[in-house]
Amino acid sequence: MFDIEDYKDVEPLPLTQDVTNEEELCRIMYCDEYKQVMALMRRMISKDELSVRALRLNSRAIELSPAFYTAWNYRFRIIEHLLKEETQLQGEGHDASYMLNKELDWLDEFTLNNPKNYQIWSYRQALLTQLYPHATFSREHPIMDLMLDDDSKNYHVWSYRKWCCAHFKTYGQEMAFTERFIKRDVYNNSAWSYRFSMLKHSDVDLDQELQFVLDKIEYVPQNISTWNYLGGLLQMMGTSDKLVEQLLQFSKKYIDESAFAYEFYARMSKLSGTANGKDVAQMYSHIADIDPIRDQWWNRKSLQADQGK
Amino acid sequence: MSSRDINRANFINTKLLGRKREPIDVRSEEDPEIENIMKTVETETIIDREEVMEACVKLLNEPLHVLDKDFAAGGLTFAFNSSMPPQMVALDASQAWIVYWIANSMMMIDPSLLTNEIKRKIVRKLFLMSKDNGPFGGGESQLPHIASTYAAINALALCDNIDNCWNKINRDAIYKWLLSLKQPDGSFTTCNPIGERDTRGVYCALSIASLLNIMSDELTEGVVEYLQQCQTYEGGFGATRLGDEAHGGYTFCATASLVIMNKLNSIDIEKLMEWCAARQCTEEMGLCGRSNKLVDGCYSFWVGGTAAMLEANDYHGCLKKEALRKYILNCCQSKTGIALRDKPGKNGDFYHTNYVLLGLSITESKFYYHGDDKTNRTPFDILSKSLSVKEVPSGLAFINPVYGIPNESLQEFHEHFI
Ligand SMILES: [Zn+2]
Repeated sequence: MFDIEDYKDVEPLPLTQDVTNEEELCRIMYCDEYKQVMALMRRMISKDELSVRALRLNSRAIELSPAFYTAWNYRFRIIEHLLKEETQLQGEGHDASYMLNKELDWLDEFTLNNPKNYQIWSYRQALLTQLYPHATFSREHPIMDLMLDDDSKNYHVWSYRKWCCAHFKTYGQEMAFTERFIKRDVYNNSAWSYRFSMLKHSDVDLDQELQFVLDKIEYVPQNISTWNYLGGLLQMMGTSDKLVEQLLQFSKKYIDESAFAYEFYARMSKLSGTANGKDVAQMYSHIADIDPIRDQWWNRKSLQADQGK
Repeated sequence: MSSRDINRANFINTKLLGRKREPIDVRSEEDPEIENIMKTVETETIIDREEVMEACVKLLNEPLHVLDKDFAAGGLTFAFNSSMPPQMVALDASQAWIVYWIANSMMMIDPSLLTNEIKRKIVRKLFLMSKDNGPFGGGESQLPHIASTYAAINALALCDNIDNCWNKINRDAIYKWLLSLKQPDGSFTTCNPIGERDTRGVYCALSIASLLNIMSDELTEGVVEYLQQCQTYEGGFGATRLGDEAHGGYTFCATASLVIMNKLNSIDIEKLMEWCAARQCTEEMGLCGRSNKLVDGCYSFWVGGTAAMLEANDYHGCLKKEALRKYILNCCQSKTGIALRDKPGKNGDFYHTNYVLLGLSITESKFYYHGDDKTNRTPFDILSKSLSVKEVPSGLAFINPVYGIPNESLQEFHEHFI
């Protein structure tokens, strides 16, 4: 545990504002503990002390100031050094995973208490890539699950999970994973985006995937996430006559209740050649009427269609 | 479509979509009309939005508010003349940002707020954050960080070369350091060895380098290819090239980077425009940062600035400025504390004050390039002029959408390093 008594021999390194009486701009009124801990850490950084007590002090500093990236960088150097020491002590080939697991345990707990912080994720990445060749994807699952349970659109967690898949070259469960979130909230665009990025790594049959998104559109037609996903999927599958015809008929069913459906319908009409430039232009003019906040955009599309673009 | 159909679609769009509904899985046989209308399923996304929409609509029904410049100026001046409370320790590693947000807000509202005395204090403080007069960290004795250096350079640009401070900036050291942050994939890390490698790092690097006139082929090598990979199927850009969700902040960073390199044509611009247009929320009138997320005042700049850069490049119409302006004026002004906020129900803060004001300036300006030479365009050729607006114009400074600072300061700073 952190005990300030362990640092009696360390001379605190003050900030300029602590030694001059000058009224510095936007000076933060640090509490006493913060001042003390940071001043000690600054000294230890300047002396490059990479020790167990430095790690304890560092933990306290990070708890007090989670976004303090200098402390995270210092922490990495300490762990790196302690690991080297341990390996030297135990001889080559010694497995120091337990040390790294302890560090990950600490990080997990810290993460749960600081869900909005994002230094944690790059720190984690650095640990896994540079120090921990024996890490496993499954060790990463619980913390990501908990975090996404708390905020199902947490950008950093989705991004980190994607990074993990690439790092561990494991993509097996990802489609099912996104389905869970899509079931919970069909509007969760993070889940849809994640799913899209996983398509090329999965063995899912694209026709089946098409049916999946069509079902979700049928469930709620006015949902930008699903229509965007359908558009992305179409680009991936290629615009065969048959597919365009299918999507033309499909989107037509919803044009009365969804501007997204209408836009898709206009695109399919153009692609299939069932409507000429003038017709498509008229469709976009109509969307401008039902979606007035974007009327300039739709009018632009209308003009383009009219000019045969 | 018959006029009846149009009316009905209109009715659905304005009155019903997005409203709270019980999940309906079983199709009603009695009334197919109602059955269709009922198809908004109540999920977290809908419940959250409903709450925000209600608060916004109430304020939007009021007549157009006027920007309370005196109130905003008072808060900003106070911040520069007093110490920050202990809870601001959360921003201890973002002190260069605080300085930039406050100073920039002052410059937009009224340049005379930034007195010479304050400018000297800014310069003094910023150089304390660096060992060798650049690069800069988040505070004294902190490691150099790409975002802190970005904020510090932007803040220095506002200081009018007072006491020759611009000559003090160590451009060589900054250049070498930027190169050390460059990654093999074309991105930049924010800090060594632990940092984020994403489009934000790219933007900060290119913004700093172009302002200080230290751009080089070595610095930009592979950057366009990296950014191309960050554009998603939705049209916006994500943080990394692994296919992260399109996001307002990262989209701004990617677009601004491309504009700095004059390489906007290397991406799918129509898709980007479509994505920007889709960010404007019908009922709230403001912008959101991702599909199906909530409106937030700061995207008035991240997405609004992206739209402004597109507009300068003759890609018009992805934003309804008048509506965004109404969201900003009616929903983002806080009557207590710091002047501008994310949305109704939130407290104002310096970050949102800066980006909401930048966004407001965008809604009252038209953007264009000076000169016709498209191949040799630089971001410093982007100019703006007043757009006629309803009621009283806010009279904020004209800003450059690439750098997020008033154009006058930008030009002066840029010319200093030519
Ligand atoms: Zn915001």
